[in-house]
Amino acid sequence: MMRRLLVALALVVSACSAGQDGPTTITFWDNNGGPGRTPIYTELIKRFEAANPDVKVEYVGIPSSSVQQKYDTAIAGGATPDVGGVTTSYLAHLVGQDALEPADERVENGALKGKLLPGLLETVRQTAPDGKLYAVPASGNMDVIWYRSDRFEEAKIAEPSTWDDLAKAATQLTKPAENQYGFTIRGGAGSIFQLLAEAYSYSGVEKFYEGGKSTVADPRNAELVRKVAELYKKATPEADVNNNYTQMVAQFTGGTVAMMHHNLGSTADVMKALGPERVSAMPLPKGPSGKRTVVPNPTDGFAVFKGSENREAAWKFVEFLTSAESNGYWNEKVGQIPANTDVRGAEWIQENPAVKMALGVLEDPATVLVPAPVYLPEYSSITKTDTEPLYQKVLLGQMPAQEFLDQLAAKLTTAQQDWEKRK
Amino acid sequence: MRTRTWAPYALIAPTLVLMAVFLVYPIASVGWFSLRQHTVTQPWKNGFIGFENFRRMLFEDQLFWQSLVFSAKWVAVEVGLQLVLGLVLALIVNETFVGRAVARALVFSPWAVSGVLTTGIWILLYNPSTGIFQQLAQWGIGDPGTSVLGDPATVFPATVVTELWRGVPFFAILLLADLQTIPNDLYEAASVDGAGRWRRFVSVTLPHLRDAIVLSTLLRAVWEFNNVDLIYTLTGGGPANQTTTLPLYVARKAVDSHDFGYGSALTTAGFVILLFFSILYLRLSKFGSRA
Amino acid sequence: MTQTLIRPETPVVPPPSPPRRRRRKDPGRYLRLHLPLVLYLLFTLIPFYWMLVFALRPAGATSLVPWPITFEHFDTVWNGVGFGLFFQNSLIIGVGTLVVVTVFALMGGYALARFRFRGQRVFLLALLCTQFIPGAMMLIPLFVIFKSAGLLNSLTGLVIADTAFQLPLALILMSGFVRNVPVELEEAAMVDGCTRLRAFFAVTLPQLKPALVAVGSFAFIGAWNNFLFALMFASKQDKFTLPVGLSYALGEFNTDFGALAAGGVVAAVPVVLVFAVVQRFLVQGLSAGAVKG
Repeated sequence: MMRRLLVALALVVSACSAGQDGPTTITFWDNNGGPGRTPIYTELIKRFEAANPDVKVEYVGIPSSSVQQKYDTAIAGGATPDVGGVTTSYLAHLVGQDALEPADERVENGALKGKLLPGLLETVRQTAPDGKLYAVPASGNMDVIWYRSDRFEEAKIAEPSTWDDLAKAATQLTKPAENQYGFTIRGGAGSIFQLLAEAYSYSGVEKFYEGGKSTVADPRNAELVRKVAELYKKATPEADVNNNYTQMVAQFTGGTVAMMHHNLGSTADVMKALGPERVSAMPLPKGPSGKRTVVPNPTDGFAVFKGSENREAAWKFVEFLTSAESNGYWNEKVGQIPANTDVRGAEWIQENPAVKMALGVLEDPATVLVPAPVYLPEYSSITKTDTEPLYQKVLLGQMPAQEFLDQLAAKLTTAQQDWEKRK
Repeated sequence: MRTRTWAPYALIAPTLVLMAVFLVYPIASVGWFSLRQHTVTQPWKNGFIGFENFRRMLFEDQLFWQSLVFSAKWVAVEVGLQLVLGLVLALIVNETFVGRAVARALVFSPWAVSGVLTTGIWILLYNPSTGIFQQLAQWGIGDPGTSVLGDPATVFPATVVTELWRGVPFFAILLLADLQTIPNDLYEAASVDGAGRWRRFVSVTLPHLRDAIVLSTLLRAVWEFNNVDLIYTLTGGGPANQTTTLPLYVARKAVDSHDFGYGSALTTAGFVILLFFSILYLRLSKFGSRA
Repeated sequence: MTQTLIRPETPVVPPPSPPRRRRRKDPGRYLRLHLPLVLYLLFTLIPFYWMLVFALRPAGATSLVPWPITFEHFDTVWNGVGFGLFFQNSLIIGVGTLVVVTVFALMGGYALARFRFRGQRVFLLALLCTQFIPGAMMLIPLFVIFKSAGLLNSLTGLVIADTAFQLPLALILMSGFVRNVPVELEEAAMVDGCTRLRAFFAVTLPQLKPALVAVGSFAFIGAWNNFLFALMFASKQDKFTLPVGLSYALGEFNTDFGALAAGGVVAAVPVVLVFAVVQRFLVQGLSAGAVKG
């Protein structure tokens, strides 16, 4: 009896697992798998395989919340994919682990030469200490404020262009008795990225580092942090202090809040629930300086891994994904800025007010880009692990804004000095 | 009996093999990394640093102590409530009543729900715009926009309740299974002696369940101590680190910040603490002494 | 709710009182039994109901009753995200782990409960120690072991990983259950000429039915719900499991509560149903009548 059981379980255990031969197979990891984006890649891969019958692409959708851990484990274990979706927010970590193949020559000598937005190429290059291009940019993004155009109209409020206007509108649109609030703050996971974007947009400070020292603690930035904290609970839901993306979006699409700061990446989530007749996008409001200073949002792209045994096929696939047709298709579906300049004239861009607005801001010569130092190996550790809890203290009134920024600035300055020394 | 000499070893052999192959090396490597500076994103800084991580942890890291205190509170509250509620629940569904099978299946069902899903469900339920408190507010109970996860005063009980939802059935199932092995005649004898409900519970049920209770509380305590997913997704350890447990702090250090060396040191600390308390607990409870 | 439930002064004791003592109309019984049960059922079911409502109503709707009912979210997760396959994988892994863990736990648990052997305490402690380290910290060394053993990207590998992690706990639990079955029964059978093995199968095993159900269902559910290993040790879409699928719906840019809830229903309903069927085996032993101490 016992033996029979053992035999049975040996059979269970030894079932499954088999290999395949035939055309070259490459693996592609989607860094944001899910109901939103998986179908887009399924379609693109179908098209690619039709055009390249000798290459098969194996799609693997990784949940975005675990993608860094997945990459880290795969790199440490030596089992990386051929091609992976990446964003500049963690590109430096992958480069630091020496996992990626530089793309400079491929782009320079291939079909993509001169076709990619220079600004996005620059953002990707900045993440690597050697200034090489470790991912082919596919999509640009920009911070926007999604707002309920229907409620603004109803209350006869114009689209705010300065932070003070926004704060006023937020207060006006707040009716706690009806569970309606003007604004929502991202106080939980991912808060610092957004706070810095708001702060620099308000302060008009044009550089992240001045003489090797972080400008984060500039009094004008602190002023903005104070103004945001003042809105907390007065014009925002109480829950905001722990808000991560999921919870924030739930509040916006659920109708509780009238304005939400995020970026173009949430287009699909927002439009699906509310529709273009009820929601619009505006750039982050300016401050008293009147200057348009923008902290660029992470850039999405595709990287080829060093561990790939089929680099030719891998590059072919990356080129395909960033070609005008595929790149246009992808960005149209997602609602972001296409990296391939040939897509610029596409009709859908004219019909997508948010993307059109974002392009307008980014192409305006008066706009100053203030890139955050995502190239620092410690950047996410500083901004997430160390600083997110402190920001919550500020919101809860347990820490002054200036002290909070001073601590953050000190860490960023030390990290930058380390970085300069190594360079 | 001759078999005595080798039989137990043969019986535990499969477990030993699995442990030796899959658990010994990974656990040892945590110990090894705790003595190193190891950050995958800054490989040039990596190297052996002796007990530096531990020195930093014990003397400079306020959050280590804070998270440890919160972990203790979390484990005590969770295990205590789960045990009491689980025992009561097991006793209830052990009675005969109409619809018992259905009731059992329903009260046990949260145990079958994964961590990802539990947090997903409760995020929906606690959400101030789409959740239950908004609904109650519409009926005039409580204030609209109540956010139990955002308010420092309610975030702890709210998280505790979520984990109770899934954890109580663990005890209930285990204790129910053990209740079944209580021989009838013990109760009969007690009844003949004129013992009431409470006496029978104290003199028959509890002693019989003792080993099961000792074991399940110990296992559950270890499990709750290391339970990361739920708090991580529900509160992220916030607001302001208020709900950060030690393993959650480990996850933030080792996984998010890539500081694997320090994360390993924190893990080792957790290991030593759990080991100490487990031995103490088994000694004090005189586990297995009845056999 | 807790106040109502914690009533240690009125515990409920298994009922085998003689028939003459059983009074049908016992008002205390409602307070003792039905009231706490109903309250606890509410606590259990409201979250499930919330999930069901989200799964069945259109995105953005807020009504408490999902009407008109839509199945679009189920279509999304089943056809768009591939929950059909995830479901199958979770089932294979769950059943595989259940079988292996239960058998090994029964063997080891029996050894711990019925024998005194050298190294017993060390073994027990070692079992406990394996539970002291969060899985995330062992991920990379485990990954390396799995890679060299050729166990990546296979359901077999996931069964082994889940088994390695579930077994220590299951074994300890099982030893407690075995200890509760009077050893005299086995000895009596052996006096009657049975071998130890036959005595075990004939006498002890039937008594352990509730234990097997409890330990087995824990193992199954642990494997069914494991997220970390399923995501890390498989890098093929067709080897992913339900928890991986569920986490898709919670990502940045991918928040889809309808899909999350529908996926949750897919993940939860079968387990709850299976549980409903096997839970009756949790009631056992008493009727067998073999237990005479």
